[in-house]
Amino acid sequence: MEAAMRIPARKSFFRDWICTVDHKKIGIMYGVTALFFFLVGGLFALGVRTELWTPYGRFVDSQTYNEFYTMHATVMVFLVIIPLLTGAFGNYLVPLQVGARDMAFPRMNALSYWLYLVSGLTLMIGMFFGMPDAGWTSYPPYSIQSQGPGIDIWVMTVHLAGLASILGSINFIVTIIKMRAPGMTFNRMPLFTWSMFVTAFMQLFATPALAGAVTTLLLDRHFGTVFYTAAQGGDPMLYQHLFWFYSHPAVYIMILPGFGIISEVLPVFARKPIFGYHAIAYSSVAIGFLGFFVWAHHMFVAGMAMSAGIPFMISSLIIAVPTSVKIFNWLATIWGGAVEYEVPMMFASLGFIGSFIIGGFSGVIVANVPLDMALHDTYFVVAHIHYVLFGGSVMTIMAGIFFWFPKVTGRMFHKTWGYVGFWFYFVGTQVTFFPMHLLGLAGMPRRYATYAPEFHLWNQVATIGSYILGVGTIILLVNLMVSAKYGRKVENNPWNARTLEWTVSSPPPEHNFDEIPVVTENPYQPYPDLEPETESAPAGA
Amino acid sequence: MPNVASWLPPALTQMAQRVDSLFYIVLGIVAAFFVIVEVLLITFLIRYRRTRKNRTGKGVHGNNLFEIIWTLVPTVILVFMGVISVKYVYAQQTPPPHPVVIKVTGHMWYWEFQYPNGLDTRNVLDVPAGQPVLFDITSADVIHGFYIPAVRVQQDALPGRQTQFWMQADTKDIGQSFPVPCDQFCGVDHSKMHATMTVLSPSDFQQWEASQLQKQKASSGS
Ligand code: HEM
Ligand SMILES: [Cu+2]
Ligand SMILES: [Cu+2]
Repeated sequence: MEAAMRIPARKSFFRDWICTVDHKKIGIMYGVTALFFFLVGGLFALGVRTELWTPYGRFVDSQTYNEFYTMHATVMVFLVIIPLLTGAFGNYLVPLQVGARDMAFPRMNALSYWLYLVSGLTLMIGMFFGMPDAGWTSYPPYSIQSQGPGIDIWVMTVHLAGLASILGSINFIVTIIKMRAPGMTFNRMPLFTWSMFVTAFMQLFATPALAGAVTTLLLDRHFGTVFYTAAQGGDPMLYQHLFWFYSHPAVYIMILPGFGIISEVLPVFARKPIFGYHAIAYSSVAIGFLGFFVWAHHMFVAGMAMSAGIPFMISSLIIAVPTSVKIFNWLATIWGGAVEYEVPMMFASLGFIGSFIIGGFSGVIVANVPLDMALHDTYFVVAHIHYVLFGGSVMTIMAGIFFWFPKVTGRMFHKTWGYVGFWFYFVGTQVTFFPMHLLGLAGMPRRYATYAPEFHLWNQVATIGSYILGVGTIILLVNLMVSAKYGRKVENNPWNARTLEWTVSSPPPEHNFDEIPVVTENPYQPYPDLEPETESAPAGA
Repeated sequence: MPNVASWLPPALTQMAQRVDSLFYIVLGIVAAFFVIVEVLLITFLIRYRRTRKNRTGKGVHGNNLFEIIWTLVPTVILVFMGVISVKYVYAQQTPPPHPVVIKVTGHMWYWEFQYPNGLDTRNVLDVPAGQPVLFDITSADVIHGFYIPAVRVQQDALPGRQTQFWMQADTKDIGQSFPVPCDQFCGVDHSKMHATMTVLSPSDFQQWEASQLQKQKASSGS
């Protein structure tokens, strides 16, 4: 606390940023770093798609292709989506939303960021010595046999990112339990903070399994152990159990905070209280809990008895219930509203709800054991993960960035270019990822550098889509960078939002609140009728 | 357009046809929900947009009846989907008696098949029509994925472990060939690891098995 309130004697980049323990600055650092990695991961994705423009793989050789998709997925999962949602949004918003002056452990918070940065740099610098080539799942025994330092670098990266995540999650849990402002009961807590609360528990309980999995992998590679060597009594399936015991919860870690963002954005632009506050909050808890009981749905064909998949099929189908409860509550929030089509609202409504549900539905299909027998490890699964991660997580991230941009910078983004970027993203998502369903149904396996000629057409369509997404990304990021410097100055609460972060100046003062607020009600209250003048009044600083 | 794969490939077995019907049931249900959600979303966005007259939304916080409905209805439908799938799982899992057993071994990067009479082939999988065939699947090195899209089944091939599935090709498909790709990442030539399955009549199958075995013995210098 004391550290967060200290006013620096003299300003310098070093003091302001490198030495900072301010949760807002750490959040921004997380955001900027992760967006940089987003570009790197995106370039690898374009490399993957360019290779698949022809069936014969003329762009790079197969080994390089395998390295590209491994780098792509590793970067996107461990260095982009998780750090953006928890590190950037979580850090920036949670203390403000609960009315605290900082996170519970500001120095540990800074340590999380620096560990994350080192993790990312390990992978980036490591790239010049050798890239991992075993997929982001890195299943042994292939990953044990894989030559060169690539997999070792991958293990280091995952370890450091995991450590950063565990420290961060402890920080969120303590902050949310201990540092809420007077009157901020759990039932008055903003829904983004609720989602971070559940996410933090998932990170805390799941990440150690991943650490165990990758550590044993490293031991098998270099220290003669045989955890995963069948010939000497080890078992490669053990790795998959450990890996998915982490990575299934991880897919919810990659979407729950996004759900939280949507729950903040929709009521503001529909000008209504959120519909079903308790249902939304508790469904996150249900997802967090059930998320630990479905991991083997990634392993229906991995060597378990087929019937052993049945309990996991049932739990996976059940976990779709809390998710659909949220969708219906969001729809009901828009119902009867007065919807303003601002850029964040476009990403949250059409962009997110409109795309994400496709990933939810394909998830229900592959959760079915007999159907997954046919579709596992085909492009159908690639379509599924991208509808949830791109149509889902990335859309929520964009909604959140454009929503809180005026708060963080005190300036407004360029709206027209915001819409243009949105449409590139919306169209690009469908063109890139929808055809992958068709490829998967037709039997095209994933992780293929070359493929049979009958799959050519839809692969070309998907590749065109990926370039649309690439252009969209440039448009969106350039808009953010330019507007952060030259955007029109805005007042503190340009969207007329209700959570606590909007009650302070934009950008907020270093200590957040001059006086710790006293909370008397839940932030989702009805909006009074607006005078037409208020709406058209020129926004001034 | 000729030769553009965009949907399920032809179903070779009865089991595959049953799996397809299950797929269409599930697809029908999710497609119906997809349409409902998209239509509601777009209708609400247009109908309730902000205008001079509609400047603020209704002050409602929720509705317990609706919450109960949209929790229970999906629960019932999803559990129904799970329950109807169970019998398919057991049908896939339980091979009929006295199948022709073919041993499948994944290698970097080819499939090895061992037939009942001792014949051993690379990437050539011939099966008799109208008889149950059981695959005993394993791997000599890393994990591979033994996948026959036309049969709608796959099992990973793991070192030190045996997985299984069975199939019974329809007699109407005698003479046809089907792709057998590897679908679990297994290293640099993963995408080139590819066998071909040909359906033969039972008598042709026996003849083929016998004659191939002779050739094999002859060429290995006996
Ligand atoms: C321009 C956008 C993107 C394109 C064109 C793209 C393309 C692809 C393709 C083609 C693959 C499959 C590679 C193969 O199996 O041969 C893949 C895998 C993957 N992508 Fe993306 N991707 C994009 C964005 C994202 C984002 C935002 C995420 C966020 C997490 C993501 C996560 C993944 C993951 C996790 C895998 C690997 C899944 C696995 O190996 O189990 N992708 N991507
Ligand atoms: Cu999962
Ligand atoms: Cu393979």
